[in-house]
Amino acid sequence: MLGLLGANGAGKTTTLRMLYGFVPPDAGAVYYDGKRFDANRSEVKRRVGVCTQDDSLEYDLTVEQNLLVYASYFRPRVQSLHERVARLLDRFGLAPYASQSPQVLSGGFVRRLLIARSIVHSPGILFLDEPTTGLDPSARLDVWELIDGLRAEGLAVVLTTHYMDEAERLSDELLVIHEGRGIAHGEPHRVIDDVLGDHVVIVPRNEPARAEIAAWLRARGAHEVATVLGELRVPVSKEDLSALTARFADATWQVRPPNLDDLFIALARRNGRFE
Amino acid sequence: MSALRTLLAASDWRSWAVFRRNTLVFARHWRTALIPPAMEPVIFFLAFGLGFSGFIEDFSYRGIDINYATYVAAGLIAYTGFSTPYYESLYAAYFRMFYQKTWDGILATQVELPNVVWGEILWAAVRGMVNITIVAVTIGLFSTMGLVDIRPQFLVFMPLLGFIAGCAFAAFALIFTAIVPAIDHMNYPVFLIGWPLSLVSNTFFPVEPENPLLFALMQLNPIYHLAECARGLLVFGDPGSHLLGLFGSSVLWLVPSTLLAVRLTRRRVLGD
Repeated sequence: MLGLLGANGAGKTTTLRMLYGFVPPDAGAVYYDGKRFDANRSEVKRRVGVCTQDDSLEYDLTVEQNLLVYASYFRPRVQSLHERVARLLDRFGLAPYASQSPQVLSGGFVRRLLIARSIVHSPGILFLDEPTTGLDPSARLDVWELIDGLRAEGLAVVLTTHYMDEAERLSDELLVIHEGRGIAHGEPHRVIDDVLGDHVVIVPRNEPARAEIAAWLRARGAHEVATVLGELRVPVSKEDLSALTARFADATWQVRPPNLDDLFIALARRNGRFE
Repeated sequence: MSALRTLLAASDWRSWAVFRRNTLVFARHWRTALIPPAMEPVIFFLAFGLGFSGFIEDFSYRGIDINYATYVAAGLIAYTGFSTPYYESLYAAYFRMFYQKTWDGILATQVELPNVVWGEILWAAVRGMVNITIVAVTIGLFSTMGLVDIRPQFLVFMPLLGFIAGCAFAAFALIFTAIVPAIDHMNYPVFLIGWPLSLVSNTFFPVEPENPLLFALMQLNPIYHLAECARGLLVFGDPGSHLLGLFGSSVLWLVPSTLLAVRLTRRRVLGD
């Protein structure tokens, strides 16, 4: 599973849309198993499943019909379609609502139906665009389980998300996007190291030397100095941390390993969307 | 080549998959989706045809005297054949595109944008056929009551005549669906184009322009040919040259409208 990560406007959804053929790339080409997408659109799209951010369910149809109608948009036809739909309804906990409109579903179950719909034709790769946005914690966990189950079955999944814990827990690899370009790629902890460095220093809001520390770190080249609720959060290297300790021996701060939240904040700052 | 491919998409299974989707949704709500819109031309017929005909003397039409109700009966076939696909492609398609995001979901599959446009065109034209059938049945009933003087056996051809023109009207409407910024702006294609066009097409009253330019423009109007075709069949059993005019003008509307609708919808939906 590949997690696409980036701040708002970084180009995650656009990248995803290019990958599943919704918009053509301005330059370059998309390949699937060595085949150019634009030259083999129909064949490639048969193997691709897409679950977009927007709820595009058919509220005039039943839950079951949503799956059946969606399957009708693919050729070759889905084998044993009704059995496949029954299995999906059962697996995604939607069987009790099969003959009802999606209007009766909660947000979590709507998301389940959207994911079930996107794999009704048994694709080889699934694109999930922010699959848990707007869900409560319990519903998010349920969706995580479903996605993890799909991954365990061998389905390749490309996921975009704003939730750092989601990206960290679900993704085997991360691709960090900034202004439409990939700036880091690899396993989650490695990506964090590449972008942020070794440690994050947190200086509390009541530390008298806070402003001086920030200025000192900036002077040493720290570009990702962020203020969160008055706290100063700065990713630093081992060398900078040693120097900081020597320079501000009387000051109080915490040190912890960087996480994806720090990465996200750093990216947002680079994008000018976080003050 | 691209234009030809767009036009040939009409016969693609993907276009018919979109058509089938719309049929299925209609089948779920046919009572509310069908009866109120189909009652409009029936009410028009009662108001204008039967109501006004008592005040209007019989007049000469292609050499024979007919009453106003008979004249309007054919006009309502044409009006229905225009208004149903036109409004279906304006309002219902806009809802599917903008509010329900139905097209976004469909376009994430093997279905491509020209297929979505063609699915909408074909569906709207068939909706027109369905409503024309209801109007034709009503006119047939009035015929048995002696209120209109027509050849009822020709009513069976009315939905078929409506289909080709319906495709043209639907494609034309989809141009506006692709460009209106919000649903409120639909008033422009409805009141500035739809209504005037349907009134100057020999539907409710004869229009015989002496100006050669206006006359030529009228020949390009499928509603006019649909009205005259229906009237010719119902009164004389012969559509005359208007059958050719109906096909010709419909194709003239359909081809450029479809190409433009696909292009504008691509820009609207895909941002391309």
